[in-house]
Amino acid sequence: MSKTSKVLLTLVLLAGFAAALYFALRGQKAAVAEASLGPATELKGVISLDVEPFFKDERVRKILADNRLPVSVTRVGSREMAAKVVAGQMPDFLFPSGVVAANQVSDAARKAGVPVAQSSPFHTPMVIASWTPIAGILVANGMARPLGDRTYGLDMAQLTQAMLAKKRWKDLKGASAYDVSRSVLVSTTDVRRSNSAAMYLALTSYAVHGDVVTDRGTAVPLATRLAELFKRQGYQENYVNGNFDDYVAIGIGKTPMAFIYENQLVAYALDKKGVGADMVLLYPQPTIVNKVVFIAASERARALADLLGRHAELQRIAVSYGFRVADTGVFTQAIKPTGLAVEERITQVIDPPSFELMAEMIEVVTKEMAQ
Amino acid sequence: MSRAVNRTVNRTVNRMKLCGLLLLAAATTLAACGKKDERAPAPPEKPVFSVLATSDLKDALPLEEMVEKATGVRLRFTFGGTMESTEAVLSASTPAHAAWFANAKYLLSDPYGQGRVKLQEKIMLSPITVGVSQTTARRLGWDDPATAAKVGWKEITKAAAEGKLSYALSNPATSNQGFMALMGVVAAASNKAEALTAADVDRGAIAGFLKGYKLPGDNSTYLSEKFIEQQGTQAGQVNSFINYESWLLSLNNSGKLREKLVLVYPNEGVSTADYPFMLLKEDRRDDYQKVVAYLKSPEAQKWLARQTLRRPINGEVATGVADLFPKEGMRVELPFSPDRQLADGLIDAYLNEFRRPIASTFVLDTSGSMDGQGRRQQLVQALHYVAGADSSLTGRLAKLTSRERVWMLPFSDQPWRMTYFELPRGNPQARGVQVQEDSAAKQAVLAEVRAYADGLRMTGGTALYDSVLAALQHMLEQKQKNPNYQYSVVAFTDGENTKGRSLQQFQQAYAALPEDVRGIPVFMVLFGEAKEADLKALVQTTGGKVFDARKMPLYAVFKDIRAYQ
Repeated sequence: MSKTSKVLLTLVLLAGFAAALYFALRGQKAAVAEASLGPATELKGVISLDVEPFFKDERVRKILADNRLPVSVTRVGSREMAAKVVAGQMPDFLFPSGVVAANQVSDAARKAGVPVAQSSPFHTPMVIASWTPIAGILVANGMARPLGDRTYGLDMAQLTQAMLAKKRWKDLKGASAYDVSRSVLVSTTDVRRSNSAAMYLALTSYAVHGDVVTDRGTAVPLATRLAELFKRQGYQENYVNGNFDDYVAIGIGKTPMAFIYENQLVAYALDKKGVGADMVLLYPQPTIVNKVVFIAASERARALADLLGRHAELQRIAVSYGFRVADTGVFTQAIKPTGLAVEERITQVIDPPSFELMAEMIEVVTKEMAQ
Repeated sequence: MSRAVNRTVNRTVNRMKLCGLLLLAAATTLAACGKKDERAPAPPEKPVFSVLATSDLKDALPLEEMVEKATGVRLRFTFGGTMESTEAVLSASTPAHAAWFANAKYLLSDPYGQGRVKLQEKIMLSPITVGVSQTTARRLGWDDPATAAKVGWKEITKAAAEGKLSYALSNPATSNQGFMALMGVVAAASNKAEALTAADVDRGAIAGFLKGYKLPGDNSTYLSEKFIEQQGTQAGQVNSFINYESWLLSLNNSGKLREKLVLVYPNEGVSTADYPFMLLKEDRRDDYQKVVAYLKSPEAQKWLARQTLRRPINGEVATGVADLFPKEGMRVELPFSPDRQLADGLIDAYLNEFRRPIASTFVLDTSGSMDGQGRRQQLVQALHYVAGADSSLTGRLAKLTSRERVWMLPFSDQPWRMTYFELPRGNPQARGVQVQEDSAAKQAVLAEVRAYADGLRMTGGTALYDSVLAALQHMLEQKQKNPNYQYSVVAFTDGENTKGRSLQQFQQAYAALPEDVRGIPVFMVLFGEAKEADLKALVQTTGGKVFDARKMPLYAVFKDIRAYQ
């Protein structure tokens, strides 16, 4: 090897070391920067089916990741969530559907000595999905009145009375459009399994009692009486979309009136970019607004609650799944192109009875149905 | 077959490619690509995703391949009747990962059933309708759409009772179509809008409706074949078919019918099969979700609509294929009563009171060869099973029913003396239906049958064809005396014919019997390695079926025989 080549080799080697040193140091610096921010570990959440598509949405995952609040969620029935409240093994957050289930969770947390905070970033009213001919018959019989273009206010007291009196469709005035010997009944999911059916029980109990039920003495006999509204339906779907699927796929012959979350039909309309020409929404008066309640059990979950409540894009995405958010304008604007008529402002809203009373009423109905 | 070959070829090609790459990377791996590798075991196949499906879904069998191609999930179907499949899921006795039923409402209204089903999703729809041959429809005035729209189960019952409607229908005790047709009749006759109970059942309506039940069977494939053969316009001939709309539309499109069927949707309410696809095994959730996503995709939904004529659950696809389906007006849905007492009572009453009673000759192989390999024990066990006390749904289906007549005909070198058993009639209620406990008299006859079986002794040769012929002649005589029974021959045998007539001689003798013998099928229950081909040739001549009791559980054998009887 010549002297020049030796020098050249040394230079090459030195350059190599220098480069290696440079890259090594640079890597270290980046790692130090990362460490100072803290690792963005995933928040563990237990959620209801209603918000599962929202959390699966890629746009949502990205926004949460960008805000260093990525989540890992498991879907659990809202009624089973309280059982997940175990000190020491708490998820960061729970996101049950409905205040009844949410209060049950908060109550369990209080008993377990876990501090939690509730907020409700999204909500949707309980509605009855129906058909133009059915709405016409209900109006003719004083059980509903038009609210606007293709939306109706439903007189729950009148309707419940007709149902308990075992009226059949063909017995009603002007029933030629639905001249059917089936009973006037609203289709619900199985009350033993689902929140929406429990809300139906709450609404009909208010309709008969004239007020929110607040004591056992009223709740038990009332639930015994209302049990037939479930039992007489025959088989009830026991998964959340079963009833809604029947409304959309089989139609008026099976499901003249379906008790659903408004967001089910809104999400369907947004997804299909329209609805059937004769599909209409009946708004029970009064109705219950179903809040999806975010229960934060950690500091970072509180930050997530805050983000869900104020991040404009997240709110828009929630609307694309049919939910209403604080800004009603965002909601109505989004739906306009689908042609689905919704009631912009829900005016008459009641609260369901306390979860202890609800649980008791559901138990009464369950017992009656088993007979 | 060819699929398996293709897979092997692909695997070999892939291995060759892999070896090529490794060769490039390093010469030392050469050894691994030599002969040794060729003999290495193939990588294990993907585990099967097994789906227990109701037998009316047999026409969806090509989905196995389609699903695998689209999702990589190796879906494989096994088929069974609705009632037995429901029981299999309820009792957790099925190893299937998922279930796909035309109707799962009994399963899903049961708390145990709800616990067994982890996820569910409806895939498609098909209402149960009444297909009436054009000539008959014209005679009844039902070819006019305006009149047809007013036809309900009441009018159908009346036409059946008056002998104007003779229909094919799968067994009401084991199938959803058969059972829901009965429910339609019962609901219409009760005048109740909902919450039907066992006490509301109108017995006269069931009896009237069943007068028209002329072509029974176990599944839609068999019934379709028979309907094509037997469809007629004369009095007493089968002129209607009650089944899912999908099967009736397929028959209309097949070009095989003498005349097309006019579809009538009973106006008090139809029952629509909604085909929920249900996850049973939590650890296969991922595969389940892939399969469901595919089944609900436009591709699969369009295929199901076009090939099997079921209505898509996917609304957009439904609009696109609306031309495939009749444009009838609004179809009212029959509310489904999940009342188990009603269902069990109706099935029990159907079997023991309403159905045409069964009369059969049991031809029992008592030749010397039956002594070996536990065959005698199998035969005795089979007789104990039909005369047993199994009160489960499946047990009740196999069991001898009230009013049933059985002649035992043992044979070896020749047919021996017959022994007769008659199951007494129950005490039907004046109103409604309910499961009846066996009366003391019925229990006594069942015990006699079991004692008879215990006393069988095996010796001598096998005069199988002589004995089957003797049984057929006996059934013919009985049929002339008592035409209201359903006649058949059930032979239990292990061996080939060694005495008396040959198969050919049997066939000649059979051809000489009066025409009436055609309505008497022969069922062969096989215990040993008898000449199966010969037995099949025999039932081809006589009508009937061969069952291999070595491969099928006794329940399945008898459930099948019952459905054809």
